[in-house]
Amino acid sequence: MATFWRYVLERLIICVATVAISVTVVFFAPRMVPGDPLGAITIKLAQMGGNRGADALIAAYKIRFGLDKSMGEQYVAYLRQLAQGDLGYSISSFPSTVGDLLAQAIPWTIGLMLVTTLISWTLGSILGGLVGWTGARSPALQALVPVALVLYTIPYYILAIVLSFLLAYVFPLLPRTGAFTLGTQPTLTLGFALDVAQHAALPALSIVLVSLGWWFLSMRSLVVSIKGEDFMTWAEAKGLPRPRIFWGYAFRNALLPQATGLALSLGHIIGGQLVTETIFGYPGLGYLIFNSIKSLDFPVIQGSILLIILSVAIINFVMDLVYPLIDPRIRYGAAGRA
Amino acid sequence: MAGAIPFDELAPRPIVEAHTVGHILSTNRKFVVGSVIFVGLLLSALAIGRALGPEALRTGIVPAKQGVGTAGLLLLGSTTLGQSILAQLTQAIPNSMMVGLVAATIGTLVGGLLGLLSGYFGGKVDAVLRVLIDVFLAVPSLLFLILIAAVLRGLGVPAIAAIIGAFAWAWPARAVRAQVLSLKERPFVQVGMLSGLSGIEIVWGELMPLLLPWLGANFINAFISAVLTESGLSILGLGSQRDMTLGQMIFWALNYGALLQNMWWWWFIPVLTLIVLFLALYLVHLGLDEVANPRLRTQA
Repeated sequence: MATFWRYVLERLIICVATVAISVTVVFFAPRMVPGDPLGAITIKLAQMGGNRGADALIAAYKIRFGLDKSMGEQYVAYLRQLAQGDLGYSISSFPSTVGDLLAQAIPWTIGLMLVTTLISWTLGSILGGLVGWTGARSPALQALVPVALVLYTIPYYILAIVLSFLLAYVFPLLPRTGAFTLGTQPTLTLGFALDVAQHAALPALSIVLVSLGWWFLSMRSLVVSIKGEDFMTWAEAKGLPRPRIFWGYAFRNALLPQATGLALSLGHIIGGQLVTETIFGYPGLGYLIFNSIKSLDFPVIQGSILLIILSVAIINFVMDLVYPLIDPRIRYGAAGRA
Repeated sequence: MAGAIPFDELAPRPIVEAHTVGHILSTNRKFVVGSVIFVGLLLSALAIGRALGPEALRTGIVPAKQGVGTAGLLLLGSTTLGQSILAQLTQAIPNSMMVGLVAATIGTLVGGLLGLLSGYFGGKVDAVLRVLIDVFLAVPSLLFLILIAAVLRGLGVPAIAAIIGAFAWAWPARAVRAQVLSLKERPFVQVGMLSGLSGIEIVWGELMPLLLPWLGANFINAFISAVLTESGLSILGLGSQRDMTLGQMIFWALNYGALLQNMWWWWFIPVLTLIVLFLALYLVHLGLDEVANPRLRTQA
């Protein structure tokens, strides 16, 4: 039991350290720029053509945002706000808070990510498992391997660009940008749902195709290595039907490492999706970050980045605790020996 | 995609000597083909760039919106602003490669060193470094890079490369640490310790030669992901505004609506170049991997 608590403590330290470092970097990064952190606002004002009274406004902003205080005091105030879930106001769409903007973007990102991850992971695992299982007996299935290799090497956004050209321009079957037809009101009707699905098809396809390659390859090598295990020989000797051996013995045993891989790749999945969303103008977190970069909207950039890092850290922590429960072979102390 | 290459192949390894490594590499088809494509891309970009001269990069040097032509600056077409795609490409290829080189060098050196320290000395050093490594592995580094690049606008290519490198050390560190942990239990290391070699001597003399081919494969891996990261940042509008890279070319093409104006050469040529570059690097990586993992050679 002592090793269990040591393990939990170690994982907790890593989780807390991740969060603490992220929060600190996100606070200090914009303040390390030479000059004034309000420079972004000044530029924004200048772009809108309003220079009159800018000095007074900036002085007022300085007090409003606490920029007249010392760095240490600002940091404490920032932590206190953060603990209350207050991420501040957006600069470019001022009356909206960062929280409002995030709340609008998150459902699109999570929806797209859940659907694409589920499809590509399931499809990739089943196909990869079958190809590993049949091996040289089925040349047709074997031909999928180089395809998967190419898909795995191609960067996600390149496929996105090519797809968006082919399907939305050359063969205009699907809408190229947005999440639903402009002007329609989001309602709970079948028509709207179809519209959403149609708009999500292209970004989803590009994400699924690229991530499929990786799941395929890793499942294939897992099944190939399991084929040599003693219990497989035993199952064959018992005269079990082949499908039963595949699904019940090979596939099932390969599923756990495959699930582990899924959890570990979460950060990469989110990162890849950010750029894909930008290319397709899909209104999720990635597109929000892209737009706030363009309009120098630092509170929004900071808020979205913090949100993603926090969720990844917490999911990783939970996963670390859950694995050893699912698979007794992963011992609690084992993480230390990695 | 979990971009990492599995590193838990801890099979016993024969002592690899430098001249045999060279020999194995020169006969490895994947490594040779990959290297030839890579060097060929770089040299032709440099040679053509030199032949064209710096003037060729000027906006309006050629008529705007020209498709793929037959010769000279219009060989690969032009942009809506009358820039020569060929001239841009000669600058973008070396720059993108430089990003990979700088970032992968920083990542592999720092990561390799920390991994060695952590694995070989163990104890408190290991405890602290392990937490640090896990923290950097857990954070999606693209997000930090987005924040830093958004704050420090107008960086040059070398600066962006260095920042990417600063986030690229965690994987090599974890992998090297695992390797060292397994190697240090081997008899030859024990013999070294018993014969009174110092820690540094064992690390450099006994462990380094075994880690080198393996670090090479890791270096290429870091190279690929650095080029990938830089292109991603560029497409988000956070690339270097001064110098051209392959990602930056794609950004401008998308930004000026090359897709919708059917100016396919504008976006397709940098995209194709990136794909060729990645495939070449991937082949080099596979080749190096076969040297580091002799078991893979028989399979292939």
